[in-house]
Parts: sequence; C-alpha cells; structure tokens
Amino acid sequence: MFHSNDSEVILKIEGLHKRYNEGKSNEVHALRGIDLEVKKGDMMAIMGPSGCGKTTLLNMIGHLDKNSGGEIHISKIDTNKLSDGQQTAFRRDNIGFIFQLFNLFPFLSAVENVETPLLLQGYNSGIAREQAKMLLRDLGMGDRLYHSPMELSGGQQQRVAVARALITDPAIILGDEPTGDLDSTTSAEVITLFRRINKMNKQTFVLVTHNRWIAEKCDYIVHMIDGKISNMEMGPFKEEK
Amino acid sequence: MGLISSIKIAKRALTRRKTKNFSAILAIALGVTLMVGIQITTDTLENAFLTSLLIREGEVDIRFSNGTGGFLSAADESNISALVPDALAIMSELQSSGPAMIGSQFEPSVSMAGIPLDYNEAFGNFYDWDTGEVMDISTYLADNSSVLLSSSLAEDMDINKSTELPINLTTEFTSITIVPKLNESTGFPILNETTGFPILELQITEERVILSITEIFDSRRPGIGASYRGVLFSLDAYQDWMSLQDPLRNKDIIGAYLITYQTDHFSTPIDETVLQEKFDALEERLPVKMVNDQEVNVYAIDSSRLLYIGLIDLIFGLMSSFLNVLGLLIIITGILLITNVQLMSVEDREFQTGVLRAVGEKRGGIFRSMLFETLFQGIFGGIFGLVGGLIFGQLVALYLVSLFGSGSASVQPLVKESVVIFSVIVGVILGMLTGLLPALRASRVNIVEALRGIKITFEEKSSRNLAFIGVLLSFLGIFFFLNNGIINRNLQYIWLTSGWDNISEWENILLGAGFLFTGLGIVLSRYISRTKAFNLTSIVLWGTPVFMFVVAMGSGWITDMSGSSLNILIIAIIEIVIGSVMLVGMNLPYIMRFLRSTLIKIPGVKGVAQVAPALISSHKTRSTLTFAIFAVVLTLNVTVASLVATNIDSTVGQSEEDSRGIDLYVQLSDPEYNLANTSYTTELYRIDSAITDVIGMKTFKPGSTDYTRYVATKNPFSPDFNPQSNLLPLGFGELRSDQILGDAQNATDDEDWRFDFYMYNLPDGVRPTSIDLGASDEVLLDQSKRAWDKFFDPEYRMTAYNITLDLENFDISNFGGFTASTLEEVDPILDINGSEVQYPIVFTDSFLLPLGMPIWIPFNTSQFGFPVYQPFTIGGSFDSDRAGGWPLSRSMQTEGFSSGSFSGTLGTVYFPERFSSYTDFFGMADELSPDKREPDQFDTYLIKTTYPFDSPAIEDVAQSIEDFTNTKDSGYRKLIGDEFMVATATSLYSKLEASLEMMEQMTNFLQIYVNFGLIIGAVGMAVISVRNVAERKREIGMMRAIGFPRYQVMTAALLELMVLGFIGLIIGVVNGLFVNVGFSNMLDVPVVIPWGTIGAYLSFITFIGLLAGAIPGWVASRIPAAEALRYVG
Repeated sequence: MFHSNDSEVILKIEGLHKRYNEGKSNEVHALRGIDLEVKKGDMMAIMGPSGCGKTTLLNMIGHLDKNSGGEIHISKIDTNKLSDGQQTAFRRDNIGFIFQLFNLFPFLSAVENVETPLLLQGYNSGIAREQAKMLLRDLGMGDRLYHSPMELSGGQQQRVAVARALITDPAIILGDEPTGDLDSTTSAEVITLFRRINKMNKQTFVLVTHNRWIAEKCDYIVHMIDGKISNMEMGPFKEEK
Repeated sequence: MGLISSIKIAKRALTRRKTKNFSAILAIALGVTLMVGIQITTDTLENAFLTSLLIREGEVDIRFSNGTGGFLSAADESNISALVPDALAIMSELQSSGPAMIGSQFEPSVSMAGIPLDYNEAFGNFYDWDTGEVMDISTYLADNSSVLLSSSLAEDMDINKSTELPINLTTEFTSITIVPKLNESTGFPILNETTGFPILELQITEERVILSITEIFDSRRPGIGASYRGVLFSLDAYQDWMSLQDPLRNKDIIGAYLITYQTDHFSTPIDETVLQEKFDALEERLPVKMVNDQEVNVYAIDSSRLLYIGLIDLIFGLMSSFLNVLGLLIIITGILLITNVQLMSVEDREFQTGVLRAVGEKRGGIFRSMLFETLFQGIFGGIFGLVGGLIFGQLVALYLVSLFGSGSASVQPLVKESVVIFSVIVGVILGMLTGLLPALRASRVNIVEALRGIKITFEEKSSRNLAFIGVLLSFLGIFFFLNNGIINRNLQYIWLTSGWDNISEWENILLGAGFLFTGLGIVLSRYISRTKAFNLTSIVLWGTPVFMFVVAMGSGWITDMSGSSLNILIIAIIEIVIGSVMLVGMNLPYIMRFLRSTLIKIPGVKGVAQVAPALISSHKTRSTLTFAIFAVVLTLNVTVASLVATNIDSTVGQSEEDSRGIDLYVQLSDPEYNLANTSYTTELYRIDSAITDVIGMKTFKPGSTDYTRYVATKNPFSPDFNPQSNLLPLGFGELRSDQILGDAQNATDDEDWRFDFYMYNLPDGVRPTSIDLGASDEVLLDQSKRAWDKFFDPEYRMTAYNITLDLENFDISNFGGFTASTLEEVDPILDINGSEVQYPIVFTDSFLLPLGMPIWIPFNTSQFGFPVYQPFTIGGSFDSDRAGGWPLSRSMQTEGFSSGSFSGTLGTVYFPERFSSYTDFFGMADELSPDKREPDQFDTYLIKTTYPFDSPAIEDVAQSIEDFTNTKDSGYRKLIGDEFMVATATSLYSKLEASLEMMEQMTNFLQIYVNFGLIIGAVGMAVISVRNVAERKREIGMMRAIGFPRYQVMTAALLELMVLGFIGLIIGVVNGLFVNVGFSNMLDVPVVIPWGTIGAYLSFITFIGLLAGAIPGWVASRIPAAEALRYVG
C-alpha cells in the first residue's frame, strides 16, 4: 500500500479494479487492483503514460463511474456502499472537480457557473451569488463575473472552474490535467493558486498530469503503468533552475 | 477531397450517428406524413361526394328527351342511334314519380321507372340486395303488377334483408278518360246542339293500384341498380300504367333514351372534357323542326353527369379552399420541425467539422457531405412518411365514415399517385433545403473555434446585403399602402377615416404594415440591436391584425365586409402567428430570466432553475422553432374550437329571440285538399288551443329530371345559354303579404306585422350604401320590412346587375350570395337604348344567387310543355340566422349532402303571390298538370303557440298534428278520403338540435384535421427531446459531476420541453381567441371561450411534455458521468 505520512487519512483505496465492456470480447481492464492512501492536506500528483488508467482512477474516486471491485473510503466512509443519490450528495459536498477542458456550462456566466453547486446544496440564491462573487474576486476574476465562458481565456476559464470546485469547501479536489489546455505561464499561475489554497485551507488535491514540472509542485508523485501503481516519489522536489 | 470522399463521410456519419439520423429521418417522415395525410383526407372527402353522385348516374352519359316536351316513341330509337354513332349502347327508359305505401309506411313521392328487360349489358347489372348476386330482372318482372324495389327505398320503408317477399306496395296513377258530359240534374249526357253527339270532357282520376314487390336490388352498389332509387317496372308494364294518363291509351311512350359511351364508369371514370366535347358536338347536330315558325330542336339532351361534376367542383371548391388553408398552416409545423432538427445537427457537429477542416477537407467537401447526408435522410424520411401518410389517411377516412356514415355518401380512402409522388418529392426537397442552411453554416465554421468547442454565434448586426433586402421589403410595404386610394382608386386613402372601413382596404393595410415593418426591422438591425429592431417588427406584425379583429371589427369601423374575407383571414392568421412567435422568441432571455428567478426560490429545484431556463435562452433559434410548432398548431386548434363554441352558443341563445314566435312547422307530403267547409289550417287550430297562429305557405321542389322547372341563371333565349351550367335545380316558394304583414299595410305600420322576417341582402332603395355590422335588431328589422314592401309592390322593379353565375367560374372567395353586398362596384345591365334593365324581384335563401343577379324562372310549365321564362332580379336574401330565413333555410345543415336532395341543398327562390297563377305548381296555369293548385292549397305551415320555444309541450303539439294527419281512416285522412297524405311536424327546437349535431360533426372533422398538426407537434417534441439529450450528454456529465442528483437532471430535461410547450400553448390560445374575437365581431355574435377544449390542450401538452421529456431525461440521468464527459458529439 502506498501512503504518504501519518496524519489523518482522508482517502483510502483498497484493491480497486475497473473493467470496461465487462464480459465482452473488447473488455478492457483499466485498473488492476489499486491500493492507495492520501492524508488530509496532501497535494498528490498522478503521472503515467496515456491509457495507464489515471483518469479512470480519478473518476472512480469521484464516483463519476462505477468500479468493478475494491473499496474506496473517503473521510472514513465506504462510499461504494452509498446509494446513487447519496453518492451524488457526497460528491457535491466533499469533492471538487477541475477538468482539462474546464467543463463549464457554456450557457451560464462565470458567477452562475460558480454559484451552481451552492444552489444544489439549497443555499438562498442571493447568498450563493455573493459567495461566488467573493471567491471569483479572490481568484482575480472580479472584472469577469458576468462573462460567459466563451468570452474568457483558457486561464480565466480554469480559474472559474477552480472557483466552482472550491465554492462548497470540499475535502478533496480532483484535477484531471487541470493545466493540460493552458500555456506554461498560465499553468504556473494555476498550480501556484492550487498550492496556495492547499496550504491555506488544508484541502487535499489529487492531480492527474503529464507535466513533470506541475507534478513536482506537489507533495508526492504516484506513477501508474497498465492500471497499476508502479512507484511513488516523495517530495519535496528540487526547484527548477 | 472529391465527391467519393464526401459520400463516404456522409455514409459514415449516417451509420455512426444512428439515433440522431433516425430523429432527422423521423422529422422528415412526419412532415411528409402530414402532407400525404392531408392530401389523402381532402381527396377522400371530395371523392366521397363525387362517388355518391356518380354511382347514381350509373353508366349513363347523355340522355335524350323530347325537345318540345312530351314523350318520345319507339321510332325515335333509330334516329337517335344515328346521331350517336360512337355510342356503345342505347336504352329506352320511362320515368316518373308517385306515392308509395308499404304496410303502414308511406312515402309521398317515390321515383318509378320502367326499363326494357333486355337492356344492353353495357349499362351494368342489378345485384340482389340479400345475396349480392347478379339478378336476371326478367324472372322477377313477369307481369305489370310485379316490381322491384331499390334497397335505399327499402331501408326508408323499414324493410330489411330478412323481410319475406313478395310484399304489397300501393300506389296511384293518374287516369284520364274521355267521358260524355252529364247533365247534373238528369244524369244524362249533354248533346251538342249542332251535331247531336254527346259533348265530351276529360275525367281525371287517381287510380289506386296494388303492386307486388318480388325482389329487392342493391341500389348502393355501382351498376345499373344505383341509378334507380325507387320502384322498378319492366318498360312494358310501366307504359301500361303511364298510358292511363292518355285518353287514347297510347302505349308507345318513351321518356328518354339513355346513351353510354363506355362501360364500367365507376372504376374507369370517363374523361369529363371528352364527354363535354361530345355533348357540345351533339348539341350542334341535333335535328330541328319548325313550330309556330320557330326552329326548335326535335330532341333535348342533357348530361347529369356533367352537371353533377360541375356542382361537386363548385361545392367542394368552397370546402377545399378552407381545408387547404388549414392544411398549409399545419404543413408549416412540419417544416419547422425538420428545420429545427437539421439545425441541431450542425450545432452538434461543429467539433467534427473542425477536425475535418483541420485535416484538409475543403468547404465544398463539407457542404457536399452534409448535403448527401440530408439527401439520404430525405429519401428515407420520404419513404417512411409515405407509409405514415397512407396509414394516417386510412385512419382519417375511417373516421370520416363514422362521421358521415356509409350511406349514399360512403367514404373510401382515395390515394392519388400524383399526390403521393408530389408529397414525397416535396418532403425530400424540404429535407434537403432545410439541410442547406445548416450545411452552409457547417462549411463556414471557424476551425480553431470549432476545435476548442466554442459555439458559433450569429453576428449581432445585419450585413449590408440583408439591409438591402430590408429596404426592398419596406418599399413593397409602401406599395401596398399606396394601393389604397392611389393605385386602386376604388379604395380610400389610408389617412382618411373611410380608408379603414372595408375588408379590401384592410387587406392592403395588413400586407403593407407586415412588409414595411419587416423591412424596417431588418434595416434597423444593422444599426441597433437585433432584439430591439425585430421587437418593433413583431409588435406591428402581431398588433395590426389583432387591432383589426378587436378594435376595427369590434367597434364597427369596418362597415363593408364585402371582399375577399378568406384572403384577409389567411393573411391575418399568418401575421398573427409570425408576429407572436417572433416577439416571444426575441424576448426569450427576459422570459427565462423571470422563470429562473421564480423557480430558484423553490427548494429541490434550484439547480434546475439555474440550468433549464439558461439552456432555453442560449439556443434561441432552436427554442423558438420548438414552441413555434405548437404556437402554429394551437392557434388553429383554438381558433376552430372557439369558433364552434361561439357559433353553437350563439345559435342556442339567439334562437328563441330569432324564431319570432314560430315554434314548429309542418310539411305535408302533398298540397292540402281543397275542401269546401274547412282547410288544413282551420283543422290545425282545432288540434290544440295553444296554437295561436298558423301561417300556410306553398313550396315546390322540382324532380331530379324535371329540367323544365329549373331556374336559369342566364337568359335561356340568348345564344350562349348552356343548359349544363346555367340551369339550377332550386326549390320554389310563394310568399303572400298576409303571411308576412298580417293586417299591417306597410313597413311603417309596426304593430300589426304578423311575422318578423329578417333579410340579409336588401333591394335597391332599401339597401344602405355601406354595411353596418353593428346595426341593432330594430334597424335590421326596419330595413327588412321596407324590403318586404318592395317585394309585395307590383310596381316595383329592381335593376339587374351584371353578375353571372356559371358553375365553371363561381367566385369562391366571395362565397356567392353568402356575402353581404352593397353592389357599389357592380355595373347595371343596360339595354340597347342604354337604359338600365329592371325586373321584378324575388328573394332567396340560396348561397348560389348573389344580390342583383338576374334569373329566369320557368312559368306555365307542365310535364308536357315547354317553359316560358320570366326574368327576375335577386332582390334580397334571407338572414339565415334570424326569423324567417332561419326555419325555412335550414335544409342544408340538417339534410346535408348525403340525402341527395339537391334542390333542398341549393336553396329556394321565393316570389310573391301575384306570380303564382303563371305556374302550374302554385297556380292553375295548365289545368292538366297534376301539380296544379287552388290559391289556399298550402303544403308548409309555420305555427306559433303559447308555449316557450324549448318547451316539451311543443313536441306534444307536433305529435298531435302528426297523429291527426297520419292515422289511417281518421282525422285528416278521413276528411279528405285519402290515405296518401302524410304530415311531418318539426319543432324548431328539435330542428335546432339536429343542426347543432350536424355542426358538431363538421367541427369534429375540422378538429381531427387540425389535430394532425398537434400529433405531429407531439411526436416532433419527442424527437427534439431525444436530440436535446443526445447532444447535451457532455453538459449532463458536468451536471452530474458537480452534484446534480438524477431527478434534477431529468427535471431539467422535462422543464425545458414543458416550458416550450406551454409557451406554444399560451401563444396559441391568445392568438386563437383574438382570431375568434374577429370572427365573432364579423358575425356579430358573442365570443365564447372553449375552456374545456383549452383545458384538454393543456393536459395534452403536459402529458406529451412529460412523456417526451421524461424518457430521454431518465435515460440521460442513467448515463455514467464519466462517460458523458468524454462525449464530443
């Protein structure tokens, strides 16, 4: 089992398997028994070649897809045992997602995108709007509140996505190639932002990335090959010259 | 990449995107279904009418009769055969009519005919009603008392297939014998003083005969049997009976020779034009003889086939133009649906288009591959649509059968090849055309933006080219405005009050405002935001017709309704629909913002409130097209529903007031007897003390072959008179001043008028210069009374106007005599001296006879004589909604077309008493005519009672009258010593109920017709819903990822559809009601809102929305979020 340090374990994965097209001729065994522990406040990177199962692992943690075997415990709750509705509510309250393609609703403005998770939690729309505005201002998006995603640059869109992921104050933030669609300057800005939030809020980050430079900004790096964890590199990593 | 690669790409797109292609194909299929279905319905209906009439004609193409009246003889056969060498067969026939009694059932006038037993087989067969087998009539018609009965008459006489034959039928024949004149006191013959021989005189008696019905033939099956709807004799037998009318007992009498040019007309209809040519040519070469130094034709020819076809074309022309307008609007919904789905295709595929462009595909290639795709979709959609349309058409035809019955107007689905081919081709072309815009858009995508997933948005400002089109449209609008007064001098300038007071001016106002403001909107959108610019356009488009319906018609601005009321209705409905859809579409974001702010307060749907309204307003075009489908269809549905509710309600509510005291009317099968000490009227007063007034009238309807008593619509002595199109089988009525005025002297003597008989169109000298639709009942009654003064004034003559009615060129848009007319733009007819031609007037309830038209009524006619035509001017028409016109002219609604009573259907011409003596059906013009009458021999009676209009006691009075008249050996029959007399007493209330039932049938049909669109809209909604969900997989993934529970994902999909459905419903209801307000204002009846029907539509939309949205929504909510997020279209 790969684990980081001795503080409180927030995410614990045991023997996780995922098979696509199970039982069919084109079955793909994407995850082949993953065991992993992540402590609260960790910032972890997952690296590996394309098709090794990184995104699949992230989707399993976020319960965006069903696993084929194994257990996932988040904040000591066996999330596999939750009903679909409970999983959705759990995801809404405890997990924030940041995607490579931002996945913002194109038909909502920046502030509307950010406030949506709060509305789902039942917040009054006025309060939700105020909180979303505050957060966007904190992230330097104060002058772009009512722009639609199409009117924003990639970096700006990702800031909105980050704000949407953070607004419910989730315990874990999952990032699937969050800088994959950004230039290097913007990528640096975004990863710096992640690190700042991680330090300030003690929120756990699990980031899938191809970019070694990004990965090295994290506390440790988990390497995956063919649906399995091959090794783990612990930080801190030396600063780039 | 070339053509092949475009096809390959299209093929791949078709096979990979199965659901989406299926929905596009389905949309096209639905559109084609609609077109094919509507066409089949219209054709089927037309065919049903035509068939019912053509069956009756059997195989007869042309009929020869005696050119100077009277009979033909056996010797004429060879002459006639020589005139028609190309005829397939010729057959003699002797036809007349008489009363018939079977058991206790009595029919006052039954058609009777004799035909040769060895008639040519080209005329078809008789079929046994019971077994359906071909009958050899000679085995059943062995002697002159054996007859065959038609199945139609059998049904009327309560005979069924299991009735044991033979049964007796009693009838009467007129017998005329020459007898010596007897001295009344001595009883001996009176001798001629000069010659010493007895003086002879004619003795006319009715000989009662008992005949034996030996078999019943099927008269509804195509064949010769269908031509004979009554009693059939052998020719010899009928000649025996008919010769009784001849004192010399000459039996060599033939009524007509029937000619056929082909056999099996039913399955192989004869070419109408060819027949007309043959007829015209034959008319040219008819032999002539000299009578009183005048050349007259030896033979008269006619072709009821040609006449009926003309009539059917005319009547159905009216109906089909209305159906076509509805059909056209419904088809628009199909077009909206196809465009919508095609538009989705492009938006959905911008990413792939970007990839194709990035790997080197040219714009032309993209364009071609999309066109190929839509071509495939069009072809498949066309084929499926054809199948759907055929099924739809069959179902509607079945419904029509249940509606109109399978009687003489039986309904068989008719599928014309040309219609099918046309509809499918149109469907395919439509599929491609609607794919053209999306294909163009696809070929022009910005590669980088498409690959980045940035959706294309339209330019906010219009291009220069578009602005130019706007300028052109504005000029077109100005042209229409200028048409009023400047281009068309008959109309008034728009800046004058009088320029807003008639329908034709409003037609230009509507078109002018529509085009001008559409153009202005386009031009302005180059300088200001599109929303603002087109809001202006849509408000004017919607507001102008609404203003016309509500204000201009409501407060009586429009005083002249003559003109193309159908045109204005079409234009107004189109503008209202476009304007309202555009207005709502343009302001959709505001409406959605309001919806969001309302929903977001409700716990549990806050996420839905955030997403669904935003989704709707983000796809403005698509959302607009979706609700437009319902807006168009529901506008029509609500229009039809509320129109009917308004009509029915106003009919019931107004009836008591409008009947003006008349509670029931009685019709005798024959004119009453001329009794010495009493009359039928006197007897009626004795039946029930509640009867306070009995108004006796004379009416007459010519028989179906009695052409000498048909009204001529053109001078019969003019060279261009054509009996085929200028003779109408109208009924006649006599109206006396005492029946209407009672003791009153004239219009000013208000108190003593006996019967308030309202008129619609009025004669010269009474007619106001403009028609005031808001005129009060008092004003209308005063005008009507003055019209009656003219009618009864022997000195009064009215100018004949230059209006001709040919069945070939009947003015459908003006509905003939239905429209109120001022005759302002019609020229009077001038004689050779330049003076206006004036004739006495007649009144009518026939829609075929417009005010001011000259007609020629045959006077002094008998079965044996040639008519003398007297010209009249149509001086007015009855107000069919009010007293007088109402009880008398209801035949159309209650009998309809299926009864086959054409003269009843086409209406009646009424003339004053002073002309009665010139006819032998109201007077004694020809003593020999069996129809001759004494002055008080009435047949129709309008009766007033002390009971309220809808009192059941009136039914009891009606029953007492029937009992008094129809009971064997007692009451009236005993008084007259004749069992051959039957009275039909009908309370106006029951007649009203019957007409409401007929109206309801017609309404049901119209409802079914417009419901075509509703069904298509519903299926379209499902298609759009499936497409929406398929296309928004990625958004659904996002929703699930950030914590939307499944039910909210489903609710969001549902809400989108429901909201669009409801917007369509609201637009439809509002528009439909405004159109209806217009109708009500036109007809001056109160508006009735059909809340029940609107509730039904609301339930329907809710149900469809739930069904169409829930299933795809549920499927969507089950898709794992990770899979949905991977979706790239």
